[in-house]
Amino acid sequence: MTTVAPTDAVDEPRESPKGMSETRVAWMFVLPGGSMLLLFIVLPFALAIWFSLTNQRLISPLQTRFVGLDNYMSELADPVFWKSLWNNFRFAAFVVPFQTVFALALAVMVNQRVRGRTVFRTIFFTPITVVMAAAATIWVLLFNVNGLVNGFFEAITFGNFAPDWLNDPTWAMWAIIVVSVWQGVGFQMVILLAALQDVPSELYEAASIDGADAWRQFRSITVPGIRNALIFVFTVTTILAMRLFDQPTLMPRSPGGPLDSTRTTMVHMVDVGFGRQAIGRGSAIAILFFVIVLALTIIQRRFVREEAG
Amino acid sequence: MNKRLAGRIGLVFVAFAMVLGACGGSEGGTAAACDGEIDVDTIEAWAHEGSEADAYRQMIDDFNATAGSEVGLTVNLTLVPEGQYTDQVNAAAAAGDLPALLDFDGPNLANLAWGGNIVSLEECIPDDVRGNLLSSIVSAGTYAEELYAVGSFDSGLGLYAWRSALDEVGARIPTGPDDAWTAEETEQILRDLQAAGYEHPLDIKVWYGTQGEWMTYGFSPILQSAGTDLVNRDTLEADGTLNSPEAVEALTRFQTWAEEGLIDTEAVDDTNFTSGAAPISWVGHWMYNPYKEAAGDDLVVLPLPDWGDGSKTGLGSWMWAITSAGAEIDPDAAWAVIEYAISDESIISITDVNGAVPATQSALAQADAFAEGGELEIFKIQLEGAPDIAVPRPITPGYPTVTSEFWGAMDEILLGADVQTALDEAAAAIDADVDANEGYPAP
Repeated sequence: MTTVAPTDAVDEPRESPKGMSETRVAWMFVLPGGSMLLLFIVLPFALAIWFSLTNQRLISPLQTRFVGLDNYMSELADPVFWKSLWNNFRFAAFVVPFQTVFALALAVMVNQRVRGRTVFRTIFFTPITVVMAAAATIWVLLFNVNGLVNGFFEAITFGNFAPDWLNDPTWAMWAIIVVSVWQGVGFQMVILLAALQDVPSELYEAASIDGADAWRQFRSITVPGIRNALIFVFTVTTILAMRLFDQPTLMPRSPGGPLDSTRTTMVHMVDVGFGRQAIGRGSAIAILFFVIVLALTIIQRRFVREEAG
Repeated sequence: MNKRLAGRIGLVFVAFAMVLGACGGSEGGTAAACDGEIDVDTIEAWAHEGSEADAYRQMIDDFNATAGSEVGLTVNLTLVPEGQYTDQVNAAAAAGDLPALLDFDGPNLANLAWGGNIVSLEECIPDDVRGNLLSSIVSAGTYAEELYAVGSFDSGLGLYAWRSALDEVGARIPTGPDDAWTAEETEQILRDLQAAGYEHPLDIKVWYGTQGEWMTYGFSPILQSAGTDLVNRDTLEADGTLNSPEAVEALTRFQTWAEEGLIDTEAVDDTNFTSGAAPISWVGHWMYNPYKEAAGDDLVVLPLPDWGDGSKTGLGSWMWAITSAGAEIDPDAAWAVIEYAISDESIISITDVNGAVPATQSALAQADAFAEGGELEIFKIQLEGAPDIAVPRPITPGYPTVTSEFWGAMDEILLGADVQTALDEAAAAIDADVDANEGYPAP
């Protein structure tokens, strides 16, 4: 590799020792991964597009019929679809900024040279290692009307604030937001921590000599220094927030409840596609949702561009 | 090159999708061709992991050791958790991965039979075996006039109560479904109990949630007792039935019970009843043993309230069927296991554990609890009175939508939503599903 002679034949495929063109070798390298992608991502997606145009049911002796855009029309006219989409956005609107800022705060904290910082890093990271299904079960007990969370709130509000979190349409989503941030923040913290350690310490030294205080250093050195990592965290959190499913399925006593206040598009899709067996309509929801998330990601990329290098 | 490749891949997908689409329609209504000969040495079976899981396991072990070994047949049993069981079965059915022998929750029968996933037992079941089954089992196992499945037990639903608490407020103890408490009477008793210090006297297992059948099994008898139903049994449509004035009136009353705290909506397990804090529990046979242990001789089992058209209750429970895959391998093998599962010995070992009603006349006659004057006699009376007292859930392939819409509406109603709106929406969704499937024509 290190002894490849310089060549100017950039456009011509180079011959490998066995006489295979580089293009063919490249295709062969792509083959294993590429065929997996085709089989498990592209093909199901193509099938979903097809199913969404038919009356396909999960189990049915009837011939599958082409129904055009019927599934899309009835879904777009269904208030439950819009409600679940709204819930996704509501969730994302709180979780994305909150989790990013919180992760940054934790990362800055455990980046200080203090005794026992490894212990703190471990503690903050632990929730990510817990399976959501198990964590949700524990949190359900904590959020019980007579649970630990209310014990805390009753103590500090002298009994004035003790909602039945998971059975109250006003509070159920908040309980889910808390659990999601608790579970997700550790991972984002680690990414930001890695970025923080890449910021050259000379910059901070120079800034202190120039008389910049800690806040000024944070704004002018830390944040620009970890810009790319922040954008990554922001984007990934948005995508994860959009596909929210586990918590609203497992935590309220009925998935997406109470009164559809935690029903997300994913919950809705599984309910329609599997619960009611309407695969055609479930596929239509998936396609609609794909288009919406795609649009969202494109808009996000427009506004915040990563810097090269 | 790239463009051509992309074009080819695209073509392959379209072809693939069309093939899959065309495969969607399989033949429904095939019968198992039992010839009395067992030609295979192993078959797969799935069962739900409920309160009778150990009894199932024991039964299959016994079968493998006795009846199975005689004919050289071994059954591999897979237990699947109850909450997700129906989804798992449907997913496997769609993928063509069902085991030969399948245990499933009764009301899904029509859906599985309509889709051709389970086969008729008509050619397998001998007349004497059939004649020995409870009529409620036969009616729950029949779709389009053919028997598709049989259960080892049938279900019982009622009000369990601490007799001492009822005595405390001077409540009348009904002797059978004929003199069940009326809805008004029930409400008065609950109010009296609340006044006597029982904060939330009625347990209705809200915490079971809406995964699984509880909400529909437990609360659709309110509709039938009020003189209406989930759907019109002839047209399979819900509008005008599920959202009828009778339904709205009855469920509005039920909603007030929740709003006034007569119903315990905060419980997260069974301790509210077992500790005596909620002295009345609206639940099925599966709680008999735990409750008996807690309340001892103080336990009474009463019929559900009468909402105007007589006390009604549910029927049907888990059932065994031969899948189309099992019929292809060897229906006789699967039938041999089913026959063993409905032998008196197997039935009694299961019903001893889960408190359910034995599925055959002969097993029922041996069970003391169901004999005259027995504590669970009421469950037997209710089933014998089917379909006037115990009412089967609608036998329609559209049942998955019916039940998910009804439990959704029930959940909303318990949380304080407008009853008429909730039922209207549910009825509209059920009818849209019937339309989308061409009225679910029988095979």
